[in-house]
Amino acid sequence: MKSIYTLPQLIENVARASPNREAFRYLEETISYSELHKKTDQLASYLISIGIKKGDRVSIFMNRCLETSIAVYGTLKAGAVYVPLDTAAPLHKTAAIINDCQISCLITTTTKRRKVDTLLNEKSTLNRVIGDTLKNSIPSVAWDDIFSIELDDYIPPTILEQDLAFILYTSGSTGVPKGIMHTHYSGLSLAKIAADTYDFNSDDIFGNPAPLHFDPSTFGYFVAPLVGATTVIIPDAHLKMPASLSALISKERITVWYSVPLMLIQLLHSETLDKHDFSSLRWVLFAGEVFITKHLRALMKKWPNARFSNLYGPAELILCTYYNVPEPPKTDEPIPIGKVWNNTEYKILDQNNNDVSKGEIGQLAIRSATLMQGYWNNKSLTEQSLHKVTIASGYDHTYYKTGDLVKLNNLGELLFLGRNDRQIKLRGYRVELDEIELTLLKHKDVEEVAVLVLGKDEEVQELVAVIKPSKDASINLTYLMEFCKVELPSYAIPKTIEFMDDFPRTSSGKISRKEISKLLEEHQL
Amino acid sequence: MKNKIISYIKSKLATEVVEEIDINEDLLGSGLVDSLGMVQLVLFIENEANIKVAPEDMTIENFMTVNHILKYIARK
Repeated sequence: MKSIYTLPQLIENVARASPNREAFRYLEETISYSELHKKTDQLASYLISIGIKKGDRVSIFMNRCLETSIAVYGTLKAGAVYVPLDTAAPLHKTAAIINDCQISCLITTTTKRRKVDTLLNEKSTLNRVIGDTLKNSIPSVAWDDIFSIELDDYIPPTILEQDLAFILYTSGSTGVPKGIMHTHYSGLSLAKIAADTYDFNSDDIFGNPAPLHFDPSTFGYFVAPLVGATTVIIPDAHLKMPASLSALISKERITVWYSVPLMLIQLLHSETLDKHDFSSLRWVLFAGEVFITKHLRALMKKWPNARFSNLYGPAELILCTYYNVPEPPKTDEPIPIGKVWNNTEYKILDQNNNDVSKGEIGQLAIRSATLMQGYWNNKSLTEQSLHKVTIASGYDHTYYKTGDLVKLNNLGELLFLGRNDRQIKLRGYRVELDEIELTLLKHKDVEEVAVLVLGKDEEVQELVAVIKPSKDASINLTYLMEFCKVELPSYAIPKTIEFMDDFPRTSSGKISRKEISKLLEEHQL
Repeated sequence: MKNKIISYIKSKLATEVVEEIDINEDLLGSGLVDSLGMVQLVLFIENEANIKVAPEDMTIENFMTVNHILKYIARK
């Protein structure tokens, strides 16, 4: 077996050894590794012919569909950097990202025509659309025309592992979008470490519910090709209809599932897990949010043959720690985020960036092969986010400061204690908002909860708990307040408790506390 | 019922400005209604049609278009 240095080599390798093996599947549509190899050569050849050069950014504006795999690998083969855009984001924000990255070319499909037309009304650097033919607009080309390109004169560019591969934009807690730059090396490192950690193989079928702009998509698009496995791209409609998703996972005989906990909780509550056969499921991986322990236990009992693993990592590192849950948790205590995986080390830092004493709380800092190159077009933010340890003059070890609070338990496992910025000062008291949430979650009538601070100045600030009740729960506000009084110190008791049928969420499914406080503030005006 | 559902989707749930919603328009795949929107739509239908939507009824076959929703309500 030849060594692999770049992401496109993942596809080339399998296409050479097992050309007919299925690479990606989307409902009835499917593409083999050899077809993917050819079609991505054709896209790369087209990109080069219109003047795309090494290091240029190319945007992908698509729902989950089969063509995403061609867009990703075609862009990479041209030596360009793919920038996946959130199709649900407001279009002026999308245009801002396009301009920040100086993107000239947008890859899409016909299903996004209405939105692409509107997007082109925004002022941007775009001058070419691939994947749909548009009238009276900038030059555009259909997929069929790409797939009829002759490859006789195509010369692939030389790509190095340190070349940029993709940029993931996240909104960031301050609301200013940050472009996280990853190289072929960091992306490939992620694939290698993940494949070692979970012993994936070519018989595996990966379920990929993550949109491209969300870092868990690296599993379906990079980890699966590394081991020669097949990735099933989950359609958008199934993610909104849990009973249909449940049937699809069973029908596709998925062996590796990786999603945010929310999707798994929705599956659990769809009351369909006893109706289908899930015996093929080997690994259930989750990350992105804390999996509420009582729901995890219930799911583990439904799927006794699958192994469950809690992954952790900000998009700057993609992933860095894991914890394989040995058995359904006996108590409602949160499960650890575990230990760092291969090719990775960590520090726990105090406020002055010194190591904390063993067992003390501090900020998690990570050094790993999967570390990003930096933030696009933002050197100062990159510098701020890093912690450098000078080993000798001219030689530093670079850690990424996650902004997450952790401590070690007596088994040497890391416990996640919440965001650094979710620790606030309220009337002189240090209040951990995440701790209040965890306490309220112990109540059987509480399905999910968001605790927020309203009010700008410290004197008028108030704690508000917003609760999504469990199904069939008859919530009694007085009783719930009593519960808070018993379980929480007086300064940490929410002043008010509100109820919501469901929370506004980010496009990755996380509870959007920013949107909730906006809703609350509007109501009070 | 048809008009009530369409006007509710248009005014409260649609993620983009739309002039008209066809009863055969794909609400789920197009992204016109997001996940939170679907939860609200189910609650709206439960109230308006005075039915209970069981969790196992949350399927694409029952909710893909306004047409599917109307047929589902009629069966209940």
